[in-house]
Amino acid sequence: MNLISMIFGAILTNNIILSKFLGICPFMGVSKNTKSAVGMGAAVLFVILASSVITYAVQYLILVPAGIEYMQLIAFILIIASFVQLVEMVLKKYSPSLYKSLGVYLPLITTNCAVLFVAQDNIAKAYTLLETVVNAIAVSVGFMLVLFLFSCIRERLDSADTLPSWKGNPVALIVAGLMALAFTGLAGIF
Amino acid sequence: MLGAIILFIALALVFGLSYYFNAKTPVPKGCENLKHDCSGCQITTCANRHPKEGEK
Repeated sequence: MNLISMIFGAILTNNIILSKFLGICPFMGVSKNTKSAVGMGAAVLFVILASSVITYAVQYLILVPAGIEYMQLIAFILIIASFVQLVEMVLKKYSPSLYKSLGVYLPLITTNCAVLFVAQDNIAKAYTLLETVVNAIAVSVGFMLVLFLFSCIRERLDSADTLPSWKGNPVALIVAGLMALAFTGLAGIF
Repeated sequence: MLGAIILFIALALVFGLSYYFNAKTPVPKGCENLKHDCSGCQITTCANRHPKEGEK
């Protein structure tokens, strides 16, 4: 039951974009069409999941035994950056088709603060490994969901009769604010 | 303190090596001119931004 409430909480009520306002850069920048939004979401899911597990292992196998928990931030940043480089290299070498669809977003994910937030949040809340994995997947699904919804709306907005000065980012930001308002209405459910 | 320094150097080395080998790995055929669709903001110094037509 705890895991289920964690899942729905991470996807809806504590959505990483609309509730915590993290990962706004790819949210605004890669949401102009649904194809790129889904691609970005899939890449983020993979990176968040894997980096959460790796940082969890580093925290409890290296940082805590050595008594250097204060190195958490810099260690996690370097681990995430290295991991993204590694993933890009592996995709280039062994899966050109996957690189063509997802690899182009990997440099964007390196600077995505949501990845670092999830890694640190898992430690701060003292999650077990299972809870870490579940939280990482749920947060990423919430990220992908919001990105997809936003991209659908933006595609419609492109052909809508918007004021010329509002076209593009201004009306997109208004829509994002309304979406955030809508998601706050879900608070208290889970 | 020493442990922290060793850890930092080790992780920095790992990042440096992964960056170097990634840069050396050739891009697959057909993927040479891939650009992600990001023009979300006006931060011109961002490496991920691609200028629109007419912009510098």
